[in-house]
Amino acid sequence: MNAVILPVVLPMLAAFLMQPLAHISAFTARLLGPLVLAISIAMLVQPWFLPDTGPFTVTFAGFVPPLGIVFYVDRLALIFAVAVPLFTLLSWGWSTDTHGDEEKKAREDALMLLLAASATGLSLSGDLFNVFVFYELMAVSSFGLVVQKGTGPARIATLRYLLISAFGSVLALLGIAILYAQTGTLNLAQLGQLAPAALHGPAGLTAFAFMLIGFGVKAELFPLNTWVPEVYATAPARIAGLLAGLISKLAALVVLRLLVVVYQDTSASQLLLLLGTLTLLVGDFSAWRSRDFPRMIGFSSIAQLGLVFIGFSIPGPWGVLAGLTVALHHLLLKTGMFMLATRWSGSLDRLVGCAKSTPVAAGLYLLFALSLVGIPPLPGFWAKLVTLAGLAEQGSAMHLVALGAVLLGSVIKAHYLFRFALKLYSRSDHPALRHGLMDLGTAALIGIALIAATIYVVPIGERLRAVAQQAADRDTYIATVFPDHANTAAPEGPR
Amino acid sequence: MIQLDFVTILYVGGIGLLAIGAAGLVICNNFFRILLALVVAEAGVNLLLVLVGYRGNAAAPILGFGPQGAQMVDPIPQVLVLTAIVIGVGVQALAISVLVRTYRSYGTLDVRELKARFEVDLAAEMGIESTPGSEAPAA
Amino acid sequence: MRNLAALLFTGGLSFLLLVIVSQLNLGETPMIVGQRMLNEAGAEVGAANIVTSVLLAYRAFDTLGELSVLFAAATTAGLVLGHRRSDAVPDPDGGFILRAGADLLFPLLLVVGFYIIIYGHLTPGGGFQGGVILAAAFFVGVLGRPGTSLDHGVIIFIEGFAGASFIGVGLWALFAEGQFLKPMLETGTVGDLVSAGTLPLLSLALGLKVGSELAGLLTALSDTEAGEP
Repeated sequence: MNAVILPVVLPMLAAFLMQPLAHISAFTARLLGPLVLAISIAMLVQPWFLPDTGPFTVTFAGFVPPLGIVFYVDRLALIFAVAVPLFTLLSWGWSTDTHGDEEKKAREDALMLLLAASATGLSLSGDLFNVFVFYELMAVSSFGLVVQKGTGPARIATLRYLLISAFGSVLALLGIAILYAQTGTLNLAQLGQLAPAALHGPAGLTAFAFMLIGFGVKAELFPLNTWVPEVYATAPARIAGLLAGLISKLAALVVLRLLVVVYQDTSASQLLLLLGTLTLLVGDFSAWRSRDFPRMIGFSSIAQLGLVFIGFSIPGPWGVLAGLTVALHHLLLKTGMFMLATRWSGSLDRLVGCAKSTPVAAGLYLLFALSLVGIPPLPGFWAKLVTLAGLAEQGSAMHLVALGAVLLGSVIKAHYLFRFALKLYSRSDHPALRHGLMDLGTAALIGIALIAATIYVVPIGERLRAVAQQAADRDTYIATVFPDHANTAAPEGPR
Repeated sequence: MIQLDFVTILYVGGIGLLAIGAAGLVICNNFFRILLALVVAEAGVNLLLVLVGYRGNAAAPILGFGPQGAQMVDPIPQVLVLTAIVIGVGVQALAISVLVRTYRSYGTLDVRELKARFEVDLAAEMGIESTPGSEAPAA
Repeated sequence: MRNLAALLFTGGLSFLLLVIVSQLNLGETPMIVGQRMLNEAGAEVGAANIVTSVLLAYRAFDTLGELSVLFAAATTAGLVLGHRRSDAVPDPDGGFILRAGADLLFPLLLVVGFYIIIYGHLTPGGGFQGGVILAAAFFVGVLGRPGTSLDHGVIIFIEGFAGASFIGVGLWALFAEGQFLKPMLETGTVGDLVSAGTLPLLSLALGLKVGSELAGLLTALSDTEAGEP
């Protein structure tokens, strides 16, 4: 049980102590962040080696739900919970040149740790307001991380991101208020129990729409994703990779939990399907038109998130599987691509002919592009296939339109990704742009992981299918949180 | 039907604040005014959230405060609002600090002008030829 | 044109909200969890102020998250604002009235702030509210004497260790009783100053952290010159 709580609490503790520690010993402060993240990874990997006895809950402060806050730990939550410190560590800023400003580095490290803590908590939480608080913490830490460079454009981009995110949070809070007024509880499982009776009408659906808008800002959903290209262009590339790869998936996970546990009727899924399709199309078109590398892959990640939402909107375990595979694949891929973007941050024209000087980087880019478009036997192909199969099986008009959109999106993707690849491999006299060793090493590591996933695609697919089955099971969720059904009776009035 | 009593007026007021904030977001051309619209909208949502816990003729949720055995209002929305206010204050303080530095760099807080200069500066940083308005894809 | 669209959008949003709010049973909302807390909080937690017991016992984890949000915001603000340039134009002097007023207010605000923090579990108040007043107490001195600033190192240390002690109390509960942030120590009698177990300690840690954080934030803001770009 501690193994699940400590990865959320220890990074917070380290973040609080980071600045005083930096005053005493800068060296220890540097080491503290990666050390805490490594400990978190070690703790979260443990449950994978134990036999899967089904999901369990962890209560806080000794109060049973629905009075207290509860963490719901199933395999899906564990996948994301272990991915958070892992990818945060991969995206850590190891640079040693701080221009003598140790305090600035300590502040940035503290923000990274808070981002990791809140993201871990978000994947595990089973209480609606707890989700909101962790979401806000994730948002505020990301504001600090994207404004890091301190250039004029970075500040303007951060400002727009901040304002859109804050207005989204206002709407999310309104949705939570409406939900609470109708049901009287904030516990996700209890909301799921009360939902069929209490949340059936327009009020419940409006609350979902508001919360979708609020959480959709981070999940880069249309039309709340106007902040994305500017921020990805002006933030350090590893931070952009973290946002695009990891953080957006966690926001999508929250929407999934809401959808599966609370809103199992069709109108909510249809709304999600519509927005997902729009996100996909707008993202791919904008990527086709963009003229610099970070924004190009930024827009393509918006499109991929649209695909994730299309997957999640398919009812049942198939939908969860579709969205999950696309999400995990994209998480791996985009982190790698943004590692390459650290050096390739200029206009696309400036990068012509780079393949000669950095063959490894160009080769990795080609691998990533092939998987992103969905060429077999790479994992991207399987992820898209699952989604397309799920859409075809549903058969309704909306789903078939979405299917067409996904195929169209793949064609556009192929065009702009391979256009860039041609540029890389063409002859040119441009000066060489070497990548840093850490960035190239991380990207290479991800490339190896991708190839390993290709080889082991069948066993991985089976495991993921079991995970999706468990995650889509609403009754198991409610039964795990309330094992004896004794806590949900309405109490009598004042004594 | 909606009765026109005190609580209803408060509700309408809360919704009105939210509407003013939303209108400000869309209409205003100055970043600082958009931030103020955000503050107003947050105030509206917090008011609505507190009112969710309302009970007619009830006492505050403090033991020993009201008459023994009286009904007390819901404590949970009050805690939610406390948290929301603190988070809001944090975000607003952050926004102000970014605004101050932006003003110092650019001398203006106008949305359209900053957008134009953003493109120019970014293009200069990245080495793209800055041709505002041309949407041709890189061939 | 844009204004018209904005008005339509806002009008539509307000209408939607009015319809929805009229459908909710206001004044009769199902207080499932709230009523249970009202019934049980006195015996289980021991604080007279039930809102504080919800904040620091039932939902203490949320309070920890909220604390971290404020910390992240203050850290980012410090990151963005940076330090004052040494060649900056010095601020004009405050004058006698301002200085004297600030000196008179300081001990008053300090007492009020600590009172609200320490009595937070008995009367409305608590860590956040008292912390803000403490921050104001220290900041009033800076306002009265422009050009001086609070000791940066002390603020960082208080902030760091107050936050760490909040988590520390929680971890102590975790290792002693197996539940993170469970209220420890005796509950005592409701209405006494020393009651509600570890809640006053958490309040104190909260108040010190918020106070030092906001004081640092305000000082960073006031240090920033509003000069020409």
